[in-house]
Amino acid sequence: MFWRLVFQLLRGSRGRLGVAILAIVSGAAVISALLNLDLGVQSKLTQEFRTLGANIVISPASGAPAQISGAEVPSLMPEHDVLEALQQLPSAQVSAAAPYLYIVARAQNIPVVVAGTWLDQAQKLDATWKLEGNWIVSRADDSHCLVGRNVARRLHLAVGNPLELHYLDRSAQCSVAGILDAGGAEDNQVFASLRAVQSLANLPGQIGLAQVSVTGTAQVLADYAARLAAALLQYQVRPIRQVAEAEGALLGRIRLLIVSMVVLILILTALCVLGTMAALAMERRKDVGLMKSLGGSISRIVGVFLAEVGVLGAAGGLLGAILGAALSYWMGLRVFGTAISPRWEVFPVTIALMIVVTLTGALPLRMLGNVKPAEILRGE
Amino acid sequence: MFARLLGESFARNPRRKVLTAAALVIGMAVATATLTIALEVGDRLAREFRSLGANLLVTPESDTLPVEIGGVDYRPVDEGAYLNEADLGKLKTIFWRHNILGFTPFLDVPAYVSEIGGATTLIGTWYQHEVPVPDGTKFETGASATHPWWKVQGRWFRDGADECVVGSSLAEKYPAEFAIGKTIHVAQKEISGYVHPLAVTGIISTGDAEDNALLVPLAVAQEISGHPGKFRQLFVSALTKPADALAERGERAQTDKNVQLTPTEYDRWFCSPYISSIGFQIRTVLPGTEVHAIRRVAETEGRILTRVGTLLWIVTLAALGAAALAVAATSATTVLERRAEIGVMKALGASNALVGGIFLVEQVLLAIAGGAIGFFVGAGLARFLGKSVFGTPASPRLILFPVVLALAAVIAMVGSLVPLRRAAHFRPAVILRGE
Repeated sequence: MFWRLVFQLLRGSRGRLGVAILAIVSGAAVISALLNLDLGVQSKLTQEFRTLGANIVISPASGAPAQISGAEVPSLMPEHDVLEALQQLPSAQVSAAAPYLYIVARAQNIPVVVAGTWLDQAQKLDATWKLEGNWIVSRADDSHCLVGRNVARRLHLAVGNPLELHYLDRSAQCSVAGILDAGGAEDNQVFASLRAVQSLANLPGQIGLAQVSVTGTAQVLADYAARLAAALLQYQVRPIRQVAEAEGALLGRIRLLIVSMVVLILILTALCVLGTMAALAMERRKDVGLMKSLGGSISRIVGVFLAEVGVLGAAGGLLGAILGAALSYWMGLRVFGTAISPRWEVFPVTIALMIVVTLTGALPLRMLGNVKPAEILRGE
Repeated sequence: MFARLLGESFARNPRRKVLTAAALVIGMAVATATLTIALEVGDRLAREFRSLGANLLVTPESDTLPVEIGGVDYRPVDEGAYLNEADLGKLKTIFWRHNILGFTPFLDVPAYVSEIGGATTLIGTWYQHEVPVPDGTKFETGASATHPWWKVQGRWFRDGADECVVGSSLAEKYPAEFAIGKTIHVAQKEISGYVHPLAVTGIISTGDAEDNALLVPLAVAQEISGHPGKFRQLFVSALTKPADALAERGERAQTDKNVQLTPTEYDRWFCSPYISSIGFQIRTVLPGTEVHAIRRVAETEGRILTRVGTLLWIVTLAALGAAALAVAATSATTVLERRAEIGVMKALGASNALVGGIFLVEQVLLAIAGGAIGFFVGAGLARFLGKSVFGTPASPRLILFPVVLALAAVIAMVGSLVPLRRAAHFRPAVILRGE
């Protein structure tokens, strides 16, 4: 009987309920979209900070010597130790890693810094590098190299040209696969395969430093660096601090900004739904009059209305939450290029919020206790 | 007659009007606040991003390639070109001079420290240095502005004093020699006639090459290297706008003859604080230099700023949508509630147009009043938000006032249109009978 009454009421006044449903659904959609967005935004922005490139550097503990004339190289460490430590740690957060050996060789009798590395990782380690030509896809490719744009200009090199590197009495040749525009010190360097540089310098198995790019929050980065440091006690493991330091504060500000705007909208939406529900409740006076005259107790009548309103809130909330998830999916695509996947926890939160708001909106129903059936039925 | 009807309507049922007006005030307040913040957020965040440090690097246009590994220049002091310290004040004379927040010159000198009996690198720089600007003023800048993440334990060297700050790795290796308060002696070569004493004032940790070096005042490094008034690298921290298509074309036009900007495009490029146009302006006042964007910083900043900007506009749209919804819903209920009134008017011979007109004018009047109050409430809200998020209040934008009023009027009218159309179909007899 109770539920029949509720459904009769819902069916009976479709027109008026239309406005209310519209308000609830759009309110819920906005709320769930923004909640999804707020939860997704941090991880997306953290990713943006990480695309910067390598954020951990492993180097020998002792200071680099100041003077490097033709034949000297900075302090070295065995390649094997570092790679072993990297392999032992969980690799899920590591997006790229590469060892480096820097030497100062001569090309066309001009001293130039040559970096031996895993060239297939170069692009992943620094996403801001731009290349004219082709990336080198295999780290075993000894015959190709990349040259910085200043080196190319100074040595008059173009893609496809041969480059001859001299180091003491040894020499090596490679073909220029691409010209690198890095916007930094790399513009003055030549990048060749690690093995080629090791044999040119006669330093088999030695590297000068290793770079690791770790994804995740600043905390994840710090934890990973700490574990790496514990595994490589004899070496220096330092997170590149420039970005990590600023990141926390910046993310905090952006997050606070979005959260405060979301809260404003939340309040606004809730008020809107509240107003609509209050109006709806007042319109129900006539039904109350009828029920009362038929002998319904006031608590039972209010119960029926609250159930009606609750059903409305739940249905509208569910529909809105689904709409909102789609909305945030679209926003993610629009803003970050990748979709923000809906969070399941947003659904119950949105629905609960909507039920609470609609029930609050139905508070004026308390006044129904004062309704005198005779007056209402007379049409006043 | 029309005016009297309107006046009566406001006088007789003020409570209902208050409800609509309240919805308008709240809706428009939120709209104003979000719009103000969205308009301002680009500038504010760009300033916050300067905590990432310098985003431009100026180097001499030279014949030799810098021999730089891990941030330290290993060229001998007599090789390569230098820049003049005396020219630096000109940076504050360019078109976007107010966007130059700081700059720091660097001079790396290989040096020999007698206490440890070994070689290391001296990095000459400024911490807080007063630069004379050609217009007669002074500008205080240095590593504190361009490298804010550098942490010093103890204190920084004083500009011009014979003091130094030791890199943390170096200090760890020679804790006795490089303790704070000790004096060390450096020279350019192991056997050198000129030995410079330096008092250790602090230990620096940068997470970079400086951890293995000695930081000294620029003047000291110049003296030891024998190049007074010179430096090799300049880091500039500038407030910039994220790069867009025009910025990229402007940058390409500098090097590529095939890309040409039209005069209007050139003016727009030159007068926008893009990193490429600021770089171009720096090169004009410091001839013989190359200016590079430090892409690691500039690109992250650009990308995040663009994304957050878009995000905020979407949130602002959502806020506007929610505001519209709130206002529309209230106006719709107002019309529904006043069916009896409409019935009476129609029974007395009012046309649909007159009834509609009265309601619309009423709504617009309410919208203007509500919108105006909402604007001021919203401006206060934006002030508060700006203060709590960025530490400085967001200043109200008067340009938004007419925008908000118009928005309120349109929303209120649209909100009442649908129910009014329904009211047109009311049959007075049915309504007056009380059904």
